[in-house]
Amino acid sequence: MRLAAVFTNGIYRENPVFKLTLGMCPFLAVTTSVENALGMGAASTFVLLCSNFLVSLFRNVIPNKVRIPCYIVIIATFVTLVDMVMNAYVPALHKSLGIFIPLIVVNCIILGRAEGFANKNPVMASLADGLGMGVGFTLAMVLLATFRELLGNGTWLNVNVLGEAFHNQPLLIAILAPGAFILMGFIMGTFNILESRGGER
Amino acid sequence: MGEILKLGFVLMAVALLAAVALGFVNSRTEPVIREQQRQQRIEAMMQVAGSLSETVPAEEMAYDTLDIGANPYAAVDESLTVVRFAGPADGPLGYTFIAYGKGYSSTVQTMVAVDLSGTVTGATILFQQETPGLGAKCEGGWVDQMIDKTAESCSVVKDGGGVESITGATITSRAVSESIRDGLETMESEGLFGEGGER
Repeated sequence: MRLAAVFTNGIYRENPVFKLTLGMCPFLAVTTSVENALGMGAASTFVLLCSNFLVSLFRNVIPNKVRIPCYIVIIATFVTLVDMVMNAYVPALHKSLGIFIPLIVVNCIILGRAEGFANKNPVMASLADGLGMGVGFTLAMVLLATFRELLGNGTWLNVNVLGEAFHNQPLLIAILAPGAFILMGFIMGTFNILESRGGER
Repeated sequence: MGEILKLGFVLMAVALLAAVALGFVNSRTEPVIREQQRQQRIEAMMQVAGSLSETVPAEEMAYDTLDIGANPYAAVDESLTVVRFAGPADGPLGYTFIAYGKGYSSTVQTMVAVDLSGTVTGATILFQQETPGLGAKCEGGWVDQMIDKTAESCSVVKDGGGVESITGATITSRAVSESIRDGLETMESEGLFGEGGER
């Protein structure tokens, strides 16, 4: 029961993007399509799970003074592994995510969870936290990518939903960088409205 | 003193484990990646070679590799490898080569097809890691501008050529057009164009 609470914590109550405002760089950068969002989400979730697992497993072995360098080495290793494996087996996705895969290393969510959760909690809870945060991050990216891909390209997961006419003349700004900021603002605003209404009741 | 040794030892152990894991996965994935890159190159080569002739499809062309001169921009291959394509009945049709240009954050590789008069007939970006949204746009329709360019006109408008730069990415635009131009010039000096095509 407690593990389930830790898991859902990352999805809504402490959603890394909408509540903790972490990992903004990949969140804004790769959400041009739902496919990219899912790929980035899967890669980040994998790294989060692995780093949370190891950090939690060795939390009593790693001396406090050198914990940050150790975490960075652990995270960087997993990111490089993901990078190599993706390059070998899903080259198309690797190509479209490009520079953002190596940049998972500096995604604050991962170091943030290692430092803020995994190094003081047991292994199972840390895995649940990593999975919850990863899923929360992925869902947030898919949400933004849905709006951006629909408005900016007329498609969802590469399937044309808004018709040929819209596809040829879409709201291009949604897929460009400013569109990411604008739509993120709307989504966060909506979340805050929902939140405050929930609080009044 | 003892504590420093202990800290150093822990760090070393962590780094060592990381290195072993990376080395192992790298040894497994590297051949797959290499093979994939080779396939991609061949696909791109056949794709641009198709532009050499209106009548002969690329699959029916015969091709052989010419190894000429040093490529000044080479980062991967030391020499400029030119592949000569010929139709089944009509002799040599043209060449393909890979142009390596130092861009803003990567070496941009372009697969180029040139006909016997030294005019580019097709080009496609093989590899680039330029800034997303700026230089990375070279991968879209932009590179099609290279078609019909010759060694004289294959540079950006700013430098007196006929290639419109990507907005905000002059370095990438220069890298691509100049690497193609250098390739064309090298091939020209090797006498591969005009009558030399029969070499």
